[in-house]
Amino acid sequence: MTRTIREVKAQHEAGLMALPGVVSVGVGGGPDGTLVIVVGLDRPRPKTMARLPQTLEGYAVRVEVIGRIKAR
Amino acid sequence: MDQDLRAPREVLKQARHDLLARPYVVAAGIGYKTVQGRRQPTLSIICSVTRKVPSAQLSPRDRIPPAVDGVPTDVVATGPIRALQVRTGRVRPAPGGVSIGHRDITAGTLGCLVMKDGRPVILSNNHVMASSGAGRLGDPILQPGPFDGGQVPADQIAELTAFVPIRFREGPSTCRLAGAVAAVLNAIARVLGSDTRLRPVTMRAGENLVDAAIARPLRDADVDATILEIGAIPGVARGELGLAVKKSGRTTGLTSGEILQVDVTVDVQYGGGRVARFTDQLLAGAMSQGGDSGSAVVDSGHRLVGLLFAGSDTTTVINRIEHVFTGLGVTL
Repeated sequence: MTRTIREVKAQHEAGLMALPGVVSVGVGGGPDGTLVIVVGLDRPRPKTMARLPQTLEGYAVRVEVIGRIKAR
Repeated sequence: MDQDLRAPREVLKQARHDLLARPYVVAAGIGYKTVQGRRQPTLSIICSVTRKVPSAQLSPRDRIPPAVDGVPTDVVATGPIRALQVRTGRVRPAPGGVSIGHRDITAGTLGCLVMKDGRPVILSNNHVMASSGAGRLGDPILQPGPFDGGQVPADQIAELTAFVPIRFREGPSTCRLAGAVAAVLNAIARVLGSDTRLRPVTMRAGENLVDAAIARPLRDADVDATILEIGAIPGVARGELGLAVKKSGRTTGLTSGEILQVDVTVDVQYGGGRVARFTDQLLAGAMSQGGDSGSAVVDSGHRLVGLLFAGSDTTTVINRIEHVFTGLGVTL
């Protein structure tokens, strides 16, 4: 793993955001304190979830349903 | 009309503790009973409840009796009773955390005061004070915001001074005017000079860093440099993963949370089908509702970390304060 999670995220972000229902891509903490790439969905999306990788260049990918994000 | 208050008062005095002990009851007083929208002529004991519940769902001892010692009762659903709504009212001098808004919007939150060209200005969101870019410089900013009753000119507190335009995503045929725009944004993003270190940010065409605007108070004495329930801001801090944060907002008041994600790229809905993509955002949990937009987000030492602008039922999205300061050319 030579590249940082920010670099990996930056490279894959556009492709992830283009998947149906993906509203966010960020960097979060895993249960053991490691950094993970977090993909936010507007609602449960089985088809999109099936297309998302489990890891990207060694970094775990976590999926969270966070809903549609609105300016408030 | 001038009925004798003494008898119902005496009854209420005896019964009030018993009435207030019943479920949902939040107040008991004397007034005229209302039946099918019409005020009745007899004085009654009015019980205010957080919500009305069918009698069948209450045990007999929890029900409000139709009369107490011959004085009729009435049950009125008022919802929970809160202390006077300081945040949605007119406040002078106005601190951070109260209702504010451009005349064409509903209401958002006055974040805090920052300095522009040596003078204090109000910081909030573009979509709160510049109507998502539709506003013009010099437009009146109302405190409270229009939804909370603010009117032009009586409640004008400031005039719109500057805002960072929001780039909305168009159809799929966007990515043409790419390069130039991205270069400009990157140049802006790289400018140093605010109080915090600013890392270069990778941005693509059509992406945004902030939803931010400033407004100059008509009179400096009309604004207060503190934030409601937080106080003074001693400095700025960088939002990092796991950082404990809080905000003071028009709708949900003082709430706290934690930075759960950093480096967040997120698509935000602005109504009317408009969507804007933001990058290098901070994401916290459920610590805001509509109307909290523009709230200043601070760390446990009350140092300024970000500007709240969006969210969902489970999520709150925050601009990094370093990008806000750079984009608007302001300091603390």
